[in-house]
Amino acid sequence: MQRWKGYGGLAGLFAVCLAAGLWGFTATGGALPWARRSAQALQRGVQEGGGPLVDLGRGVVVAGPIRNGGLMLEFLGVVGLLSVLGIGLYVYVDRYRGPDDPERAAR
Amino acid sequence: MAHIHLGEGSFPLWAVLLWTTLGAGLIGVVVYRLRKGGVRANRIALAGIGAAASFAIFQLNVPVWGGIHMNLTGLVGILAGPLLGALIALVVNVFSAALGHGAVGLLGANTLINATEAVVAYYAFRTLLRTGWELFPASAGAATLGLSAGAVLMGAMIVVSGVNGSALPRGDLTLAVAGLVGLNLGVAVVEGVLTGFVVRFLASVRPDLVGLVDRDPREESAGVTV
Repeated sequence: MQRWKGYGGLAGLFAVCLAAGLWGFTATGGALPWARRSAQALQRGVQEGGGPLVDLGRGVVVAGPIRNGGLMLEFLGVVGLLSVLGIGLYVYVDRYRGPDDPERAAR
Repeated sequence: MAHIHLGEGSFPLWAVLLWTTLGAGLIGVVVYRLRKGGVRANRIALAGIGAAASFAIFQLNVPVWGGIHMNLTGLVGILAGPLLGALIALVVNVFSAALGHGAVGLLGANTLINATEAVVAYYAFRTLLRTGWELFPASAGAATLGLSAGAVLMGAMIVVSGVNGSALPRGDLTLAVAGLVGLNLGVAVVEGVLTGFVVRFLASVRPDLVGLVDRDPREESAGVTV
């Protein structure tokens, strides 16, 4: 397939999704965090709103229930545990090929 | 990034039971197929890393589209496959609910949503590659499609279930949910682009991780069961 067809298809998909996103953004209250937007929209229905699509001044923050509930340590612990397990497993299986591995048997 | 953020008791009991049963059924089928077919050891390791990445990014609220979080479930589905992808969705939702991000009663519903994202992303990716799409548009498009499917399913679940305490008539509720789903489609583009770059990078350094080449002809199923 020609290259432009793949990228053209992707651009079309993105255009549809972005248009839907823009409508959803304004129809459900504008620049609101997702949890507040969700609660507000489901309780009071659609409410027009505006605001910036990107607000870099707010920065990246940890989800409210964790941040406000004092569970940052637990969050970091779970992330660390999953990371160590995943990377450890990966390194292990990348090196270990089993007893029938010719290279290993030769050694 | 589709994920039902409502608190405990937001759905009526029958809906909680229905989505929990369906979620448990899906996980049951996944575990059965994994046990029957086996799974390569390196896929399990990849699933572990995918779960860590997905869980971490799940909790980070980025200041785009008002404030949203990503899931990476499309990426997880493409890398780990549909079966392990569904299990990762369960693991991430269990840990998230344990920290208060998502209700425990909605674990079944949220697992169904995120598993759908992973499954659709995986099959869309394979289909697009087969039809001749290049790696970036195929992975970005597949992730966007997967996330869109999850968003639509999320909206359908809320409309079908209804929300306790909401005085909105069903028509107004449907319109409000459609707005939330629409926003999710916009977010899917951001996550789709990110997924496209990650997959293209991985394919350039380790094409076996993306399933473009066999990892090792000697390494068939390790007989590892879950």
